[in-house]
Amino acid sequence: MSQLARHATVALAIARKDALSELRGRQASGSTLFFAALVLLLFGFALGPDSQRLSEAAPGLLWLAIVFGGLLTVARLHQLEAEDGAFEQLALYPVDRRAIFAGKALAASTAMLVLGGLLLPVVAILYALPIGAAWLALIATVVLGAIGFAAVGTAYAALTVRMRAREVMLPLLMLPIVAPLLLAAVKATAAALTGDPFGELGSWLQLLAGFDVVMLVVGAGTYGFLLEE
Amino acid sequence: MPQTTIYVAPRLAGTPPAVATTDLARLFGRSAALAGVSISVEMGRTIALLGPNGAGKTTLLRIIATSIRPSFGTLAVDGIDALRLPDLVRGRVAYLSHATGHYDDLTARENLHFAAQLRGWGPSEAVAVAHDALDEVGLAPVAGDRVRTFSAGMRKRLSLARLLVARPSLLLLDEPHAALDEDGMALVDRLLGRWHAAGITVLVASHQAERVTSVADGALRLDGGLVVEVSGSGVRADLPTSWRAPLPVASGLDR
Repeated sequence: MSQLARHATVALAIARKDALSELRGRQASGSTLFFAALVLLLFGFALGPDSQRLSEAAPGLLWLAIVFGGLLTVARLHQLEAEDGAFEQLALYPVDRRAIFAGKALAASTAMLVLGGLLLPVVAILYALPIGAAWLALIATVVLGAIGFAAVGTAYAALTVRMRAREVMLPLLMLPIVAPLLLAAVKATAAALTGDPFGELGSWLQLLAGFDVVMLVVGAGTYGFLLEE
Repeated sequence: MPQTTIYVAPRLAGTPPAVATTDLARLFGRSAALAGVSISVEMGRTIALLGPNGAGKTTLLRIIATSIRPSFGTLAVDGIDALRLPDLVRGRVAYLSHATGHYDDLTARENLHFAAQLRGWGPSEAVAVAHDALDEVGLAPVAGDRVRTFSAGMRKRLSLARLLVARPSLLLLDEPHAALDEDGMALVDRLLGRWHAAGITVLVASHQAERVTSVADGALRLDGGLVVEVSGSGVRADLPTSWRAPLPVASGLDR
């Protein structure tokens, strides 16, 4: 088996294990979705029936919901490892640390993509958005946003998983780093929904893709240090 | 009951010690859990680590497993500098810790299949070795049950099965008899005998002194983070009289 194939096998095994645990712990994934949908619903009520106002706020609120849900997801995927010393065992397998990072990031980004995919129609209904024509650009934005968020989240979740105040420390450390990603994701979503009148969608997507590449490289390169106690 | 094939470690003339440490120490805050341990364990030997709670047995095993780094000292496993090349060492070492490290929402079979994949077995081989290992530790009837439903003893048996899917030349066992019933303890004794016969080096920390010394070649007794007694064959150690403290915090040595 080539080195790359071995890394891919390890990453897929870790992602599969996380996905199985996540699916079987349905209460956790259900509560994440419920929480994210509740955020959208409450903001919808707070903003009132003004459709212009709702559509202007929708991109930001969509990403707010995805971020809240994403934070819970990445924290939980590492919390699974903290139970009964699993993280120590995972660190002791003779596998490349980058493969472990890839597996954890793959699981987190897949969970976030599912969350984003479920929230998009909710936003479209609650905020009366015409997403029909913009679906491709919206999917590209959610995919790129989820990958970048998962890459940063996976690295920081490994850093904070052994801390007592990890629930507080994870968003505190992570949110400043993902600020450029969120800005680009909100702008790209807004551009996609308004038909991209200023031709800026491509630039925001490029920024998202660049952010993803940098964070994947940095995360993979530092994950081995983060695994060590 | 079919037996899992145990990888037979090659034993060559002139080979380096399986484990060699020099002044190995580990501080936690201002106290030293390990206060300067220099030992050399021959390949293929089973060595018992004895001593009271807080003696430093677990810390020593965790450092050798590359789970934590020492504060001072050197460590070589099979002649490999474990502090510089921990990734290389991890392929040779399997560690049974106090914490079982299983995933509660996965079944016993899935947990073991995952471990086998990360240990480098191919897809079909991983299924086969996981099946055999579960059979060997007596968990085959509950292989499809989630680990969340397991008792402490069953979790320990699953941890033993995880050792069987590894192919180590060095096994580190921390209280392998703990939480097990009489059948389980007999299983551990049987496995210790097989690993010994297969030429695998085993370091086993235990409070069941009689059980482990009956199968061990030699023994090290630790106290206060130091080796205070060496007995039997296959292991050498510098005792405190010949040891010069590398530690800046002498007050921590009473731990």
